[in-house]
Amino acid sequence: MFRQTLTCGLLAVSGLAAPAYATEDGTRITITGEFIDTWCYFSGVMGSTDSVVGTSHHTCATWCSAGGVPVGLLTEDGKVYMVLKIEGDTNNNGGDTLLNLASDTITADGLAYERDGLNYIVVEKVVSNAGITRLSHEDFGAIPPFAVPEPKE
Amino acid sequence: MTMGNHMKTAAVLLTVLATPSFAQDFSAGSEAKSWNLYSEVPARFDATVVDLMCNMTGDCPADCGGGTRQLALLRSADNVLVFPMKNNQPAFTGAANELQPFCGKAVEVDGLLLDDPEIGAQNMYLLQRIREVGTEEWIKANRWTKDWEAAHPEAAGDGPWFNRDPRVQAEIATNGYFGLGLEQDAVILKELFP
Repeated sequence: MFRQTLTCGLLAVSGLAAPAYATEDGTRITITGEFIDTWCYFSGVMGSTDSVVGTSHHTCATWCSAGGVPVGLLTEDGKVYMVLKIEGDTNNNGGDTLLNLASDTITADGLAYERDGLNYIVVEKVVSNAGITRLSHEDFGAIPPFAVPEPKE
Repeated sequence: MTMGNHMKTAAVLLTVLATPSFAQDFSAGSEAKSWNLYSEVPARFDATVVDLMCNMTGDCPADCGGGTRQLALLRSADNVLVFPMKNNQPAFTGAANELQPFCGKAVEVDGLLLDDPEIGAQNMYLLQRIREVGTEEWIKANRWTKDWEAAHPEAAGDGPWFNRDPRVQAEIATNGYFGLGLEQDAVILKELFP
């Protein structure tokens, strides 16, 4: 009996575990968020999360986007969606579309996915783009400071 | 043992088996070097290199997108999808280029996991070295800048790649260092460098 119970339990675990190439339908959502450099945001390598968003971090966000660091959409409630695709452009490893939108705040329609604690989004349509709205340079200057060279006389 | 006890034992076992990834310690044998990050945890584990977009949506080109997509590590021990966000170069560079040659392959990786649930950092990874399962030699996750140099011979010169990258230079030339346009940029620069 115990073996049967155990077998049922293990089968239940196997059933819960997703296969290697599981596909899901995604959940349709509309969100407003800022395109961020996820490595600097989550690792804390440059300082607090407040300092690595908006204008203070724009040049670094551009570097990271061009460098293939994953781009995320940070919503007002602090949730970050890793961007898988944006308006038909599947290049999220240094692609032009995401590079050109670095630090912008957009409203997007798309499909959201969740896996192992991380959120992902396929942006099907950028509904509106408010540009860069977070003036973080007022509090932090440039992060990192060497991102902005001192102007030559 | 009663039926009730059997069920309790099975329930405990299920709970243990279904516990999230960080209940497990993947630091054994890791030679990952610290980056002095607040939430870093050394982690060495076996995994399969997968295409994230494919994994989520079923859009699955044969070659994981040929270098245009973010790739992930499906950890063998617990089927958790780990997202490598950073390679081993302190140069604002991601990990997808390092993983691309291993698309669909079983690999062993060594690096640093991020574990900071307060800000949502979990199952994120800094990849330091990788090897295909069954091979001896580790490969350092340092190829990104070589790939960039090969792709941008016109930008050869001194200094880090990000100060020579044509697309980055174009963005700064158009929108300034703070992204608000050149006029506003000049005002901010005067404030920062009076």
